[in-house]
Amino acid sequence: MDTSQLLKGVLDLAVLAVLRDADGYGYDVLRRLRAAGLDDVADASVYGTLRRLFAAGALTSYVQPSEEGPHRKYYGLNKTGHELLARSTQTWNHFADTMSVLLLEKEAA
Amino acid sequence: MNSTLTGAVALYLAQVRAELSDLPPGELEDVLQDVSDHLTEVAAEFSAEPTLNDLQQRLGTPREYADELRTAAGYPVRTAPVGKDHLDAGWKALRWGLIASIVGPFFIVVGIFAWSRDGTAFFGLLGLGILFVAAFLGVQALRGNDPRIVLDTPRGARGAAAIRGWIEQIPPHIRHELLTIGQPVWWVARGVIGGGGFFALFGAESVTVVGAIAGAAVSIWIGRKTQRDRRWLWYVVPLNVIAAIAVPSFLAAAYAGASFGLFDNYNSYRGSSNYSPPENGLVLNGTQVSNIYPFDAQGKQVPVRLYDQDGNPIGLEVQDCATSYGQESRDTTSNLFPQAVVSPDENGDSGPDNCKDTTKAPFVPPPAPATPVTPSPAPSPTPKPSVGVTTPKPTPGATLTVQPTR
Repeated sequence: MDTSQLLKGVLDLAVLAVLRDADGYGYDVLRRLRAAGLDDVADASVYGTLRRLFAAGALTSYVQPSEEGPHRKYYGLNKTGHELLARSTQTWNHFADTMSVLLLEKEAA
Repeated sequence: MNSTLTGAVALYLAQVRAELSDLPPGELEDVLQDVSDHLTEVAAEFSAEPTLNDLQQRLGTPREYADELRTAAGYPVRTAPVGKDHLDAGWKALRWGLIASIVGPFFIVVGIFAWSRDGTAFFGLLGLGILFVAAFLGVQALRGNDPRIVLDTPRGARGAAAIRGWIEQIPPHIRHELLTIGQPVWWVARGVIGGGGFFALFGAESVTVVGAIAGAAVSIWIGRKTQRDRRWLWYVVPLNVIAAIAVPSFLAAAYAGASFGLFDNYNSYRGSSNYSPPENGLVLNGTQVSNIYPFDAQGKQVPVRLYDQDGNPIGLEVQDCATSYGQESRDTTSNLFPQAVVSPDENGDSGPDNCKDTTKAPFVPPPAPATPVTPSPAPSPTPKPSVGVTTPKPTPGATLTVQPTR
């Protein structure tokens, strides 16, 4: 099964999750997702997701100069973002539980 | 940062831009800033500068990248096939820009040569006309799109990549110096030479300095304006091409310290710097001759008209009352001698109201020689005059160099 197909549905949740602990810029978010084991995540879709979450009002954005030189656009969760993360987490847990039960039943059968 | 993108990265970005060109302008700029940042980070992953192929292996083709971005960001699916109109507009604008930048300056340079040879301004005006019409049509061809759409066209992207390649040949610190110091210097230089040259060419040398200062101010203003509104580039690039030809030519001419062949038309100087230009008028042994008082063999003053060996009148500027006080043009010349000159009254005054002319010689001629000079009965075809008269230029006010008989 192709993980990249699964990722498409949960990328919002994954991005919100890596921003929960600390604000990050696009490439940083990408690295954190990879470090967490989501190797198949497509670069462009992470940037697109950040953009959409920002447009939806779930993220704050600010520019900060980096040590290496270029300014970087940081994203962070605002109140809406935290609420969205909480709701999405519930939805995911429910979904994952359902799937797990389904798969267990199939295995048991 | 857009400005620091080079080579394959810039090309990749340009292609992503083309794929997303249907987005609203503000959103497009924002998302492309993200893409630009991303590509900069990705390029840093490579030990050397990545090729377009490296980037495609890492990120997919620009189209795939743009599609991923579009889907994830929730942008509407692209309806029109990849900017057909958009590419057409970009290409048309680019084409007019090239015509303005190449054909216009070409005819202007031809025009300057033609003008210096026979004074015809036709090619110069034609060149200016082509330049401004093509530039105008180029801006029109954009049809309100962002001027950067020309970079989305295959030729535009290739050209931009090539130019970036050349710029990369320059070491970074020199590049920085060129931008921070070279650019203002260039703005001033092209303005000074453009503004000053314009007035000098059209004969208003007295206001050349004012023209040069005004030119510099206008040039700086245009430079700043162009940084904000890139549509000005359609006019500025062709004019820069002309300046890029004119500024070194001017500097070379100034360095040689001599008038450039091009400028002979308005410049009375001839030849090189170690040759002092002859003075106007008649010169005898280096002293200016202001009038000639002919006397006949009997010592009687007579009026004569003087001509040189080619039948050109040998004239001087008339300095009688009429020309001195404005009734006649000041550069009237006459070859009738003696010329009338202003004669001061008994108080030494010679005002315009009581001005009097006189042709009387202000000296008493020495007595006529005892044996009157008789003309030789059969003059040789090239008579050897007792004074050698040479005329370098057959024009009124010519220089006469009169040498004593040896």
